[in-house]
Amino acid sequence: MLEFLSDNIGTIVTGLLVLVIIIFAFREVKKGGCSEACGGDCACCKMKPTDTEE
Amino acid sequence: MPKSTHALKIALAGNPNSGKTTLFNALTGSNQFVGNWPGVTVEKKEGTLKKDSSVLVVDLPGIYSLSPYTLEEVIARNFLIEERPGGILNIIDGTNLERNLYLTTQLLELGIPVVAALNMYDSVKRHGDEIDISKLSQRLGCPVVPISALKGENTDEAINAVMKLIQSGTATKPCRFDGHIEDYITRAESLLPSGVPIGVRRFTAIKLLERDSKIGEAFSDLPDVSAIVAEMEALLGDDTESVFTNERYAFVTNNLHNAFVKSAYVSSSGKVDKILTHKVWALPIFAVIMFLVYYISVTSVGTLVTDFMNEGLFGEGFEFFGKEVPGIPVVIEEALENAEVAGWLQGLILDGIVAGVGAVLGFTPQMFILFLMLSFLEACGYMSRIAFILDKVFRRFGMSGKSFIPILIGTGCGVPGIMASRTIESQRDRRITIMTTTFIPCSAKLPIIALIAGAVFGGAWWVAPSAYFLGIFAIITSGLLLTKLKILSGEPSPFVMELPPYQLPTVKAILSATWERVWSFIKRAGSIILIATALVWFLSRFGFQQNEFVMLDEDSLDGSFLAYAGSFLAFLFKPLGFGTWQATVATLTGLIAKENVVGTLEVLYGGSFAAHFSAAAAYSFLAFNLLCAPCVAAIGAVRREMNSNKWTLIAVGYQTAFAYVCAFIIYQILCLIL
Ligand SMILES: Nc1nc2c(ncn2[C@@H]2O[C@H](COP(=O)(O)OP(=O)(O)OP(=O)(O)O)[C@@H](O)[C@H]2O)c(=O)[nH]1
Ligand SMILES: [Mg+2]
Repeated sequence: MLEFLSDNIGTIVTGLLVLVIIIFAFREVKKGGCSEACGGDCACCKMKPTDTEE
Repeated sequence: MPKSTHALKIALAGNPNSGKTTLFNALTGSNQFVGNWPGVTVEKKEGTLKKDSSVLVVDLPGIYSLSPYTLEEVIARNFLIEERPGGILNIIDGTNLERNLYLTTQLLELGIPVVAALNMYDSVKRHGDEIDISKLSQRLGCPVVPISALKGENTDEAINAVMKLIQSGTATKPCRFDGHIEDYITRAESLLPSGVPIGVRRFTAIKLLERDSKIGEAFSDLPDVSAIVAEMEALLGDDTESVFTNERYAFVTNNLHNAFVKSAYVSSSGKVDKILTHKVWALPIFAVIMFLVYYISVTSVGTLVTDFMNEGLFGEGFEFFGKEVPGIPVVIEEALENAEVAGWLQGLILDGIVAGVGAVLGFTPQMFILFLMLSFLEACGYMSRIAFILDKVFRRFGMSGKSFIPILIGTGCGVPGIMASRTIESQRDRRITIMTTTFIPCSAKLPIIALIAGAVFGGAWWVAPSAYFLGIFAIITSGLLLTKLKILSGEPSPFVMELPPYQLPTVKAILSATWERVWSFIKRAGSIILIATALVWFLSRFGFQQNEFVMLDEDSLDGSFLAYAGSFLAFLFKPLGFGTWQATVATLTGLIAKENVVGTLEVLYGGSFAAHFSAAAAYSFLAFNLLCAPCVAAIGAVRREMNSNKWTLIAVGYQTAFAYVCAFIIYQILCLIL
């Protein structure tokens, strides 16, 4: 076990790093429905549908 | 943000193009879109005051009156009436006093403390107009603060004046009309139920007398005042709405008397307009300008920097003052080798994430130059004139010039572009606009254009500009086609829009507008594009060989999961010239975000993309990806603005079918010529 860890330490650390980056990217994506720079914080992203008549 | 944390809510209200958003940005430190034409803001935006986070500032869409016609005007009015902010800062365009004060007379009726911010005071002074601030303030019955939102002059004083007025608790006095009209108002007021609060009774009474159709939504049990209305109309010989309009204008004119002296200043806009909006030359000039914008940004200057990005920074490396500097992939590769990282992880990082994200980021310089130029054209006032010039052309094809504003915003991103269609009154025009806005290349499509123009056509001068004109062509043709449909037939509504004056935009304004768009592009590359390329790498590098799950090497990607999925649909694109699984997958990932098309091609072809496409197929691929269904974010916006699943389906289906036919024709013709 320990041997496996020390042999693959580079892969494990890098893998974790990539995982963290991907998680961050996911959080960024989840923030915004609107691709404008507000990143999902503006009222337009939180907007409810306006009362357009059908 | 939860409402309860804000002690105070202050709304910025005023005419369109009076500088509300400019002031909002200055007060809150946000970077909301400012443009030199009416109807830029179509949704209320909230932000906290830079110097006092307990104060919430709300930027509203511009309104000419409290009788709304279009969707974004409804948003502004509903906010003022239903949410009742603690105070209103009424932004007045000082170079257009009469018209702006018309709205002020209505805001004063809401029973909310109002301060008038006399904006564009820099222009007022430059023109030599004279405004007696204290006289004006006294006559309007509310504080007046001269400001320049653009230069940041007196902006704090304006907001302080609102807070002081709120704290003092003095109610704003509404303006008084002619004696017998006041009698009618008093009579209508006395009929109102007790549920209507003191502050808004006068406003409600006037709205009832004006036969306002929407006031009933705000309060229930409103009385029937038709008898009073009939009496008024019989006596005054005019409908009540006009009576009140006239009264308000009379009030404004009387009060401006002696308080305002207009100079004989003639703006230079007229002279410039003689050329730029000339009957014959306007369109050719516009075409040349747009040609130059795309040619310079994508093909000439942009390519220089982008080559450096793609081959240097995100490639082998570059020379810096005679020193060899390795590119990012080289550095990362070395680091991964040294750390003895497993081959598959190296592949994911280098051939997947770095290659895909790098390919997209490589186009940032072109993006920057493009938006620098577009922001300038927008801010100086040229673009809003194009709406007028194009109105004549659009009208022949059943659309109105108003559709150009969403298209203009759509060059940045289709989502706000689609939302900008709210300024269009007629539902038919609005639907057509929503369905066609995303034909114009948005910033996310720029990398596709630049890639094909550069890699396949070797930077030929016509490719990048042709993408823009293809978009315009698609919009016009669609106008023609869609108005033939029974559900969308009818005349385009007349187009009236106020022309803003030409002005030299500030460097800061241009840079911040450009940066906003470029930064959002970079953020997308680091988020959604990164995830998508990682996924594409994964699905394209693994598969079954002899019934065994294996990692594939570069040359046998045809056996991957993605290849199976792609080949399944690839036949659809055979007639368009790009029926390979790679091109199919790239097109599909483009539905998540259009930049993905470039990222995916890079991951799947590893840089040898150009070798797999004939010129005809490449241009057809470009045309299809520019015109077909937009990304999910834009489809979401279509759904929101249409407020109907049926219409969303019609829109997306139409766009894809149109793109297919277009790409087919282009491919067949190019095959014949080339
Ligand atoms: N000269 C001058 N121009 C200004 C000033 N404030 C704003 N502007 C310009 O006026 C134009 C309109 O500004 P916006 O802030 O977008 O106006 P808005 O009131 O938000 O407009 P809508 O969102 O359409 O209602 C822009 O071109 C600004 O640069 C000012 O104090 N002086
Ligand atoms: Mg605005």
